[in-house]
Amino acid sequence: MHELNMLMNGVATLAANPMALLLSLVGVALGIVIGALPGLTATMGVAILLPFTFGMDPVSGLLMISGVFFGGVYGGSVTAILLKIPGTPAAAATAMDGFELTKKGMAGVALGTATLSSFLGGMASILVLIFLAPVLAGFALEFSASESFALAVFGLSIIASISGKSVVKGLIAGFLGLLIATVGMDPMGGFPRFTGGYTELFNVPFIPVMIGLFAAAEAFKSMEDPKVRLGMAAALGRIVPPWATYKSLLGVVSRSSILGIVIGIIPGAGSDIAAYVAYNEARRFSKTPENYGKGELGGVAACEAGANGCTGGALLTMLTLGIPGDAVTAVMLGALTLQGLQPGPLLFKEHGDLVFTLFAGMIFCYVGMLVLGLGSLRFMGRILQMPKSVLTPVILALCVVGTYAINNSLFDIGIMLAAGVAGYFMQKWDFPASPVVLALIMGPMAEANFRRALSLSGGSYDFLYSRPITAVLLTVAILTMLLPLVKRWRAERAGISGGPVEATK
Amino acid sequence: MSNAPVQGGGAGAPLSTKIANLVIAVVLIAVAAAAIASTGDFPKTMLAADVGPARFPIIHATVLIVLCLILIANTLRMPTIADDTPPVGVAGYAGVALGILATAACLYAMEYVGYAVATVVYMAALMWLMGQRSPLWNPVIAVVVTAVIYFTFQSALQVPLPVGSLFE
Repeated sequence: MHELNMLMNGVATLAANPMALLLSLVGVALGIVIGALPGLTATMGVAILLPFTFGMDPVSGLLMISGVFFGGVYGGSVTAILLKIPGTPAAAATAMDGFELTKKGMAGVALGTATLSSFLGGMASILVLIFLAPVLAGFALEFSASESFALAVFGLSIIASISGKSVVKGLIAGFLGLLIATVGMDPMGGFPRFTGGYTELFNVPFIPVMIGLFAAAEAFKSMEDPKVRLGMAAALGRIVPPWATYKSLLGVVSRSSILGIVIGIIPGAGSDIAAYVAYNEARRFSKTPENYGKGELGGVAACEAGANGCTGGALLTMLTLGIPGDAVTAVMLGALTLQGLQPGPLLFKEHGDLVFTLFAGMIFCYVGMLVLGLGSLRFMGRILQMPKSVLTPVILALCVVGTYAINNSLFDIGIMLAAGVAGYFMQKWDFPASPVVLALIMGPMAEANFRRALSLSGGSYDFLYSRPITAVLLTVAILTMLLPLVKRWRAERAGISGGPVEATK
Repeated sequence: MSNAPVQGGGAGAPLSTKIANLVIAVVLIAVAAAAIASTGDFPKTMLAADVGPARFPIIHATVLIVLCLILIANTLRMPTIADDTPPVGVAGYAGVALGILATAACLYAMEYVGYAVATVVYMAALMWLMGQRSPLWNPVIAVVVTAVIYFTFQSALQVPLPVGSLFE
């Protein structure tokens, strides 16, 4: 009740500050654009905007940054669905089913579902932030290196589920990704591994690989068929999904939002991990798991609700404990400090009015994101009206500039191009690209935290089973990895005894 | 190729898919073996409780080799069936190869002539390659798109795009 009263006071304060409302909308719009552009992430958007907020009052400045954060996480889905260019790492998961829906002429419904699910996931996370922050804050402290390692392994176990037609090919792609992820500085000793003397490879940026595997590979593929070259990309169709359709997705959205919030609370885990985990759980609970990866709205809804659910979770630990949940909130931590606010347990006591005004503003940001998102989809969907002979060069030009923008490095464009060529052949021979991206995200996290946990336990492997969260996550990971294999094996056995096996399951 | 088989031996695969599976598996085994061999040069860890920088690459590479061997075994076991997907043809592959070469050339040129010039030429060339042959619209679209991207990144997002060593 206390929180509700404080929130109402916050709403009243915010209503008297139209400039803050306007700037938060500007932030959301900028965030959507930044998120949609390949290579530019919400982290980069917040970092770019930070200096412009120095002269603003705390509410305006922090809400503008929050707007960029929320819009940035959502914006990645637009180009992922329309063009298979994941604007953000989390959107790589959305692209798996989103782009398949576009190919089926259902781009509009996919975009509408992504927007609604982002809104619901984000709103749920902000409400949890407002009402349950003190209760959940302690959960973050339960996560040390061993739990983070187990979470990364759990994330990696999803590879079996997103392998497409062949689990073996999916696992090969995943372990190739894990091997590539070891290129660069060793996380404990700092020894450069497999760098061949190139300093640019000391930290292998996975975003160029992701852009290459998804967007550039798709662009190269569209160059091979002369009939496709001059055709229109696809139709947009209706935007807002029918209520009966979306109603059936509410369970997926709720589950994914909760997963996103929990993962957001965990320090070091961000919206990319949340999107993949939410996707896997949606597939696991689905009555038609075989449709995932072939254009299933539930896949899009899960990824977006999970990714945006992360936002409130990440803010929760940052505001209550001063521990940033992900890279964006790490930059926001600096913004708060610059505004004279010290995140931590005392923030809610000493600056309660300001904090709840910010919460009210964050709700406004999400409502603004929903309105701006739905309002602009028809306009953004016009991209699909372009002939492929123009659209493909535009996509490749965006891939090049987006990749360059990450580190201002031409070397990264080379990585993107190499990944694009590899992705083209992978697509051709049914090796899925998503496990590579997942491995590049989770691999370094798994290795660094495993070795840290091992050092903390004095070289003993006890931490793998003596810590409850670690043990549970590792058990679930093993089950997640093995169940699809067992199911396929049983299906094959049934196929052998009962007739020919379907090539695509 | 889209009807490629599952990993089991129950379904068949076209000959081209089977050859591709075998070639890719052999290449990846070579890459993984080379990775394991090069970990021999990695230093031993200074921390008694650490597994060292070589452990994880060795694990990943070993599992990759095992998986590739499984793929080879499955591929050899499965029967060969007729390929029902339309062939891409030499012209199709030539189009893709030229697109890749154009991207590589754009990357190389960017270092000397900068982002703007390289991208305008690159876009116009790709449009020509994809069948858009208008001598008027190709350069116009290329210039407009490049200008929009340039303004968005250079001015609005403060990303300094390459100027090119010839113009510095």
